Amino acid sequence: MMRVFSLTVFAAVLLIPSLNAFGELRFPPPEFESGYEFPQTTDPASQSVAYEYLDAAVLVVALLLASYLILKRRSRRAIFGLMIFSLLYFGSWRKGCICPIGAIQNMTLTVFDSGYAIPISAAIFFVAPLVAALFWGRVFCGAVCPLGAIQDAVLIHPIKVPRWLESALRLMAYTYLGAGVLFAATGAAFIICRYDPFIGFFRLSGNWNVLILGTSLLLIGLFVGRPYCRFLCPYGILLRHLSVLSKRRVTITPTECIKCRLCEDACPFGAINEPTEDWPEGEYRIAKKRLAFFLVLLPILVGAAGWAGYALKGPLARMHPSVRAAERVYLEETGQVEGTTDVSDAFRATGRPAEDLYAEAAQLHERFSLGGALLGGFLGLVLGGQFLALSVRRRRTEYEADPASCLACGRCYQYCPKEHERLKRSEKAVAGT
Amino acid sequence: MTHDQDILTRRRFFREGLWGAGLAGLGAAAGLSIARNNRDNMVWQIDPYKCIACGNCATYCVLEESAVKCVQCYALCGYCDLCTGYLVPEPTALDTSAENQLCPTGAIKRTFVEDPYYEYTIDEPLCNGCGKCVKGCLAFGNGSLYLQVRHDRCVNCNQCAIAAACPSQAFKRVPATQPYLLKTAEH
Amino acid sequence: MTQTTEQTHSHEASAWYRAARNTAVVGAVFSAVFALLLVVNLIGSAVTGPSRENTLAELKLKLQTDPTNEELRAQIRQLDLRIRQDRIWRLDFARRAAFMLLGSVVVLLISGKIASLLEREPPQPQHVPERAETQIREARYARWAVAASLVVLALGMGAVGLSGWVEFAQAEDPGPPFASMEDKRLQWHRFRGLGGAGVSTHTDIPTEWDGPTGAGILWKTPVPMPGRNSPVVWEDRIFLTGADPNERHIYCFDADSGQLLWTGDVPTVPAVAAAELNIMEDTGYAASTVATDGRRVYAIFATGDIAAFDFRGRRLWYKNLGVPDSSYGYASSLDTYEKLVLIQYDQGDGSEGNSKCLALDGLSGRVAWETKRELPNSWASPIVIDVAGQPQLITLADPFVVSYNAADGSELWRAECLGGDVAPSPIYAGGLVLVIEPYAQMVAIQPTGKGNVTETHIAWRMEEGGPDICSPVSDGEYVYLMESEDYLFCCKVADGEVVYEHDLGVSVRASPSIVADKLYILDLDGVMHISQVGPEYKELGKCGLGEECYASPAFADGRIYIRGAENLYGIGTKP
Repeated sequence: MMRVFSLTVFAAVLLIPSLNAFGELRFPPPEFESGYEFPQTTDPASQSVAYEYLDAAVLVVALLLASYLILKRRSRRAIFGLMIFSLLYFGSWRKGCICPIGAIQNMTLTVFDSGYAIPISAAIFFVAPLVAALFWGRVFCGAVCPLGAIQDAVLIHPIKVPRWLESALRLMAYTYLGAGVLFAATGAAFIICRYDPFIGFFRLSGNWNVLILGTSLLLIGLFVGRPYCRFLCPYGILLRHLSVLSKRRVTITPTECIKCRLCEDACPFGAINEPTEDWPEGEYRIAKKRLAFFLVLLPILVGAAGWAGYALKGPLARMHPSVRAAERVYLEETGQVEGTTDVSDAFRATGRPAEDLYAEAAQLHERFSLGGALLGGFLGLVLGGQFLALSVRRRRTEYEADPASCLACGRCYQYCPKEHERLKRSEKAVAGT
Repeated sequence: MTHDQDILTRRRFFREGLWGAGLAGLGAAAGLSIARNNRDNMVWQIDPYKCIACGNCATYCVLEESAVKCVQCYALCGYCDLCTGYLVPEPTALDTSAENQLCPTGAIKRTFVEDPYYEYTIDEPLCNGCGKCVKGCLAFGNGSLYLQVRHDRCVNCNQCAIAAACPSQAFKRVPATQPYLLKTAEH
Repeated sequence: MTQTTEQTHSHEASAWYRAARNTAVVGAVFSAVFALLLVVNLIGSAVTGPSRENTLAELKLKLQTDPTNEELRAQIRQLDLRIRQDRIWRLDFARRAAFMLLGSVVVLLISGKIASLLEREPPQPQHVPERAETQIREARYARWAVAASLVVLALGMGAVGLSGWVEFAQAEDPGPPFASMEDKRLQWHRFRGLGGAGVSTHTDIPTEWDGPTGAGILWKTPVPMPGRNSPVVWEDRIFLTGADPNERHIYCFDADSGQLLWTGDVPTVPAVAAAELNIMEDTGYAASTVATDGRRVYAIFATGDIAAFDFRGRRLWYKNLGVPDSSYGYASSLDTYEKLVLIQYDQGDGSEGNSKCLALDGLSGRVAWETKRELPNSWASPIVIDVAGQPQLITLADPFVVSYNAADGSELWRAECLGGDVAPSPIYAGGLVLVIEPYAQMVAIQPTGKGNVTETHIAWRMEEGGPDICSPVSDGEYVYLMESEDYLFCCKVADGEVVYEHDLGVSVRASPSIVADKLYILDLDGVMHISQVGPEYKELGKCGLGEECYASPAFADGRIYIRGAENLYGIGTKP
């Protein structure tokens, strides 16, 4: 047995000198005498692209239907039904990917990387809900977004988040948006997808981080309404700003507000604005000074934050795998760390000189210094803008759904007596009385 | 509703302008994507010439069972008795016994063809994408065993978790109509 | 509305409410149970999985030392089967538990929502006294909250900024990843130095030392494994290799203290490890001298294994070129050109077509170029020379001298003038490539031709014989040939005329060298014969080491490094 073995090995050794060039095969493929035929490597096809277009079509139809149900029919039940359908279709069936939130990154990459082109179906996912927001407000959030649907579904006992806290918490969403765009534009990572909290539930599998993040958000969501939507969703920021401009939007009352105050606690998401009262006399002078102060502060904030973002180009750039590889190789070459990692081994196997990699990393640093400055400036602008928005006096005479924050869920309709009047009228019309 | 709303106030003009700008911006975004005209969906695939068989494919995939599997390029395979992708580095015998197999899940099937050639095929449901066989084949053999993303399993995440963790950045986006980067004999 | 109707109504309602609430509680409990099961499953696989695999690996190791133990074999197979079954079982379990968890969560949510809906009370807005004040206060809190988040953002940015990073733009430009020919001129980067000439440009070289007393000897370090290869020196490091049938090592010594700094291991492929190669003992497994390009050092062995190490001892790559079919054992040394390592891989009798010259990329080990040749095995080492700006790789094998472009491996010229077992390496002196046919002749070729230049570019032949082992050395005017036994020849480079013939009376295996106008010849007993370069033999001194020497010496400023059969010597006076 061992003799056969060593003879076989010896034969293999004899085979070795008969090698051809390197870059070709060590063991030349055999020529079979028994009529054996080489099987082919199988290549099972991926899902047909038609499914992607189907998804885009379903999205558009759902948006149209949602706007009808939210603005015309004004039926919470119908909205809830559409929301559950969206959860099942876009969430469980299509596994939550690709979604408009992630599509921000694809669109950004298309703009900044000429080698990548966003698939048309994904572009529809990005553009359609924003167009709908321009016309009808955040109807996407109300009945179509699967992430919103899953949070809405678990909301059992809403408790109110203090209004003054909301503006501060919302800054997380702005940061997420800015960072997401920066890292997508530089080709570093799609962090919006990486930290998508609910994808694990749609796929019924995921790594620890995603499951823990998602479970925590859902547990919070049992009591705090739609925490991701309100305080984390980067797409929500885009929707907010477009929804403010919308042609038609959610109104609590179908006709006019009689200020009965019955809808004050209707919104679990804190999106109902009360009418404002006149301030005492001295307050206006203070408010004017405050406004002037924040106006001056705004450019300072933008400049300071922009400079900070510029200065952080090193850590920001580290999100990019090439920069991480360059740092690792550099540390090894200069003897500051012992041993090698898979990354540095893989790099050395390519035969590129390390200087090439350092040059690539230096270039990325340049991109991140500009990008970091822009991100910092953006965050400074947002902060300054928030200060200003909180210093400006608004005049409201009615109870209204905040145009930016209203998630179009339709819960507030049945709190309004005018709505009940409308329902009775339509019932009578149906009954033919 | 009062008739004041019909008067074109500064504020209203500003708002209308912004609305128009918003719509134009979205139109530009849509136009850009149509100009680039990517009708195909993009899927992920491994470039087998960059892959170093580090083993991340088995652990980083978001699915419980990784969508990355080993495949065999039969035209490149040497059909050797001493297959360095099938057997451990110092086998006690050249057979199919468990103690001599490199594959931790027993996914490689070895069948005798004719003397001294053996055929090696991958049993895909058993393969977990760990790449141990790929490493052995690449280092001492012909490199006919390599890893590929299988698209009947892959859910095509927008950001592939394995792609982000790949030390040699071997993952790239390919059109869904040509989703494989297979090795051929004319390498 | 009568009270009883209300009571009945609320009684019914509360019954539904209780039902909904209880279902919700049940759903919550089930969810918790399934979640717990999933977590336990996951922890279980994380804990038992690796420990079982470690046990399996240990058992497999044991089996290697005890291959006939059937019980151990059965144990391994059982454990292996257990691991595989377990893995599949856990996946199935996780899948099922996830579905059950989903189901119970849905139950929980639906019943929870119903309970919440049933429990809802109509809105009862309370009197709010000072709405204006409330609004002003809330706005103020909001502004402070935003200010707090500004502080948090600033702190976050600060914390992120504290983690340092590498400033690539300002990293010093280290220049090309290899040393220039000018740098190599000052070092001894390969067998017999730059161009394999055996000529050192340093002038301050020891002329007196004595091995037995230690006079003039800075240090002496034992070399762990034997090898006939010569020392290679780059700045403060000396490289040697040693090998036996089972292991191949490269050693790095400190040039000032002789201390062994690191040992690099060169692995081989399983098939070669298992085979029994019969390499001639006189040649050994480590006959080839290493070469460096100033950043990395490359070593090749008679098994066909070649590896690259950086100067700190980290192995960069290794590969096996296939066991060379060489009757005396593979002995050609390596050379480097820019970042390529050049290998003359001649084998067999020339008819099998397995001889080749190849260049590997020094950084990755990938083949940069490869040129086949139909020549038999040869033991001469190739040299890289600069002919009017063009880098030429000169190779010797019976019967051709072939010159290739060192950068891409294309053949430049060849001359038919060799025969027998070619072992002495060529040199480039006085504008001529000087080659030796053992026992027969020395031939001078002008390296400026193209194609077969046998008739056109051979300047002269000296047909009074030639050494069979030692390579020649020249200062451009005179060329010296040392035979294996006794005789030293001196010829003129210009026309090959023999100027003198001197009987040294010793056996010599190391090739002679010229330093600072002096000829250094190291004989087999370790005695260095130092004589004056010139048309007459004039002995200047003899220095003994007291040890057998096969390898050729290496020279550095103020130093000579000699490898004896057992030890490496550092000779000089400067510390």
